[in-house]
Amino acid sequence: MIEIKDLKKSYAGTPVLDIPYLQIKKGECLGIVGNNGAGKTTLFRLILDLIRPTQGEITSKGIPVKGNNDWKQYTGSYLDQHFLIDFLTPEEYFDFLQGIYGLSKGDLDTFYADFESFFNEEIVGKKKYVRDLSQGNRQKIGIAAALMTKPELVILDEPYNGLDPTTQLRLVSMLNKLKSSSEVTILVSSHDLRHITEVCDRIIILEKGKIIHDILTEESTLGDLETYFNPV
Amino acid sequence: MVGFSSEIKWFLSHQWKEIRRSTFWHKNLALNIILGLLMLIMLLYLLALGFFIDVILSELYPNDDPVKIFNGVLLYYLGFEFLLRFFLQSLPTLTIESYLHLPIRKSSIIHYVLGKSLFVIGNYLSWLVLIPFAVKVIAPSYSVLAALSWTTGMVLLIFSNNFLTLYIKRQMTGNTKVVVLFGLFIISLILLEHFGVVSITKISAYLIQFLLTNPLFILVPAGICFLLYFVNFNYLKAHLYPEEVGASNKGTETDRLGNLSYLKSLGFIGHVVSLDLRLIWRHKRTRSIVFLAPIFLGYGFFFYPQSIYNEAYTFLIFVGIFISGGLMVNYLNYCFSYESNYFDNILANYKDFTAYIKSKYLFGVMISTVCYVLTIPYAFFGTHIFFINTMAFLYNIGFLSFILLYLATFSYKRMDLSKNAAFNYQGLGATHWLAMLPAFLLPVLIYLPFELTDFPHAGLWFIGALGVSGLILHRFLLKVIYTKFMKQKYKMAQGFRE
Repeated sequence: MIEIKDLKKSYAGTPVLDIPYLQIKKGECLGIVGNNGAGKTTLFRLILDLIRPTQGEITSKGIPVKGNNDWKQYTGSYLDQHFLIDFLTPEEYFDFLQGIYGLSKGDLDTFYADFESFFNEEIVGKKKYVRDLSQGNRQKIGIAAALMTKPELVILDEPYNGLDPTTQLRLVSMLNKLKSSSEVTILVSSHDLRHITEVCDRIIILEKGKIIHDILTEESTLGDLETYFNPV
Repeated sequence: MVGFSSEIKWFLSHQWKEIRRSTFWHKNLALNIILGLLMLIMLLYLLALGFFIDVILSELYPNDDPVKIFNGVLLYYLGFEFLLRFFLQSLPTLTIESYLHLPIRKSSIIHYVLGKSLFVIGNYLSWLVLIPFAVKVIAPSYSVLAALSWTTGMVLLIFSNNFLTLYIKRQMTGNTKVVVLFGLFIISLILLEHFGVVSITKISAYLIQFLLTNPLFILVPAGICFLLYFVNFNYLKAHLYPEEVGASNKGTETDRLGNLSYLKSLGFIGHVVSLDLRLIWRHKRTRSIVFLAPIFLGYGFFFYPQSIYNEAYTFLIFVGIFISGGLMVNYLNYCFSYESNYFDNILANYKDFTAYIKSKYLFGVMISTVCYVLTIPYAFFGTHIFFINTMAFLYNIGFLSFILLYLATFSYKRMDLSKNAAFNYQGLGATHWLAMLPAFLLPVLIYLPFELTDFPHAGLWFIGALGVSGLILHRFLLKVIYTKFMKQKYKMAQGFRE
């Protein structure tokens, strides 16, 4: 699905990301963990062609993401609040996405039905602009927007941040359901080691812009991660 | 991906919603009415200028064709407009981050970004002068067609200026030196013109005359406008990344205002002042006020050379207060609401609020003093001006400053300086406007009875004496403000959180 070759990004000569090779297969759910400044968001931004790589190339389905728009149709993403259009109401924002992705009215209805419990009556019909909602509710809108188009590739940066416990757990089960019911590829980063091991089949650890571990999730993974981040 | 036209339709609807839902409209009614009136007055002034400029021009230059004179200044006008735009117009790119990850053609996004820049009011203000002039003067003396092609040509040049500004500004994000050089270049051109070395006015009149003789020449400004649009388009197409077109704040270099060791050695007050200095320098809104300072300080040049003003003391007092007090008023009015974002932090951590209040006062005095010292050369226009300005300065630092600081404790409006527009009125409350009134009117009112009873000098001394007595009583006055502040702080903090 995604192939990264010889990728480097540096700011003013200081390298922030350096990935010689990384392949993410179709249907895989890849978790990315790492401390602040490890390069998680930078990697996502590069995959979404939001920043210019200093060197190297990223392909999605074999086509370079840079200078190409086709991948956007099958990619749903939410990195941060800048993705939202904050002077719209949530409904208007979803309407806009429906128009942009060319979804039908029926698709939109299914979407609202699917996300009813996730929204927990706090998003729809509130007559509020996105900018006037709390951070957690904005986060919900962003995640829902990334998933509403039934994308083949989902990219979420720290989706659990700012969510209440109920919604965190709902998101975990939603991602698990998504994974088992379709061939969707998921890239997700998080500081929450438990949630990420619950969702992902493969986890990479970034440190100072480099991949230092690339492991398949098993029983002992959570313990291993905890020891890695807090060595005794 | 959906069609190009439907993408543009979405963008237009978003633009419309963004304007209609702007927090600008959420202000209280009274403030909007005041702002609206100010706006209306300004628009009417411009309109009146457009209608009567031919009269003014034929008064000043009775032997010349007013159209030629008008055309002569247009190149200068465009130059100044460029400078103003460079400092005031923000790049309309903030919104692109919400669209980049969606399946929307890059070219649509770019058309949107560029089209959005035309929604700036500065693109239309000059129409108020241009159109009446074209209708009243050009149409009768040339032809309706000539008036049409002249107006269209000018509008196209103004739009070209818009696109030129965007391009240049993107090229040199943060590098304002080049533009300062450009400003100096224009000033030297004016000087050279004054001494008869070169004549931009002749060139300007000559070039714009073509528009009047043959409407086909409209193709030239149209071509310029199109070319600049195209240049912008290509540049954006190659650089449509938030961090490259100035949308993201990543990569702004830090300045060295952190090591003001002298201020820090002054203890707590020094720390607070150095924090304020950094606050002002590192936010666009406050920084643009610093850049506008030359206008405040240069205010005298408009009035002192003309004898009608030079002898009207009431007016000179007003100018004197404005010159050394304008920037101080701006700071003291907002000195607490500027800190909205971390006001809770201040309340929770500062131990000595007497010193906190004092530091605000001292910083205001510092600003006023710098303005006063810089404008001492105005004495060249007459010693009475020096005298008036000195009295006004004393009034500013000893009287006005305390009133403003007292009124500032009534600010409950949150002001988020990180919102970057240079002219955003967020956090302007009715008290701020009230504060402006005593600032500029009170000394004039105090002075008037003295003038009417023929003791003008006594009146000036009195204004100065007010200031001096405030300075003598400063301990007491600061104590009063401190007491008020301690009472008000909860209400302020609550307002700032909203």
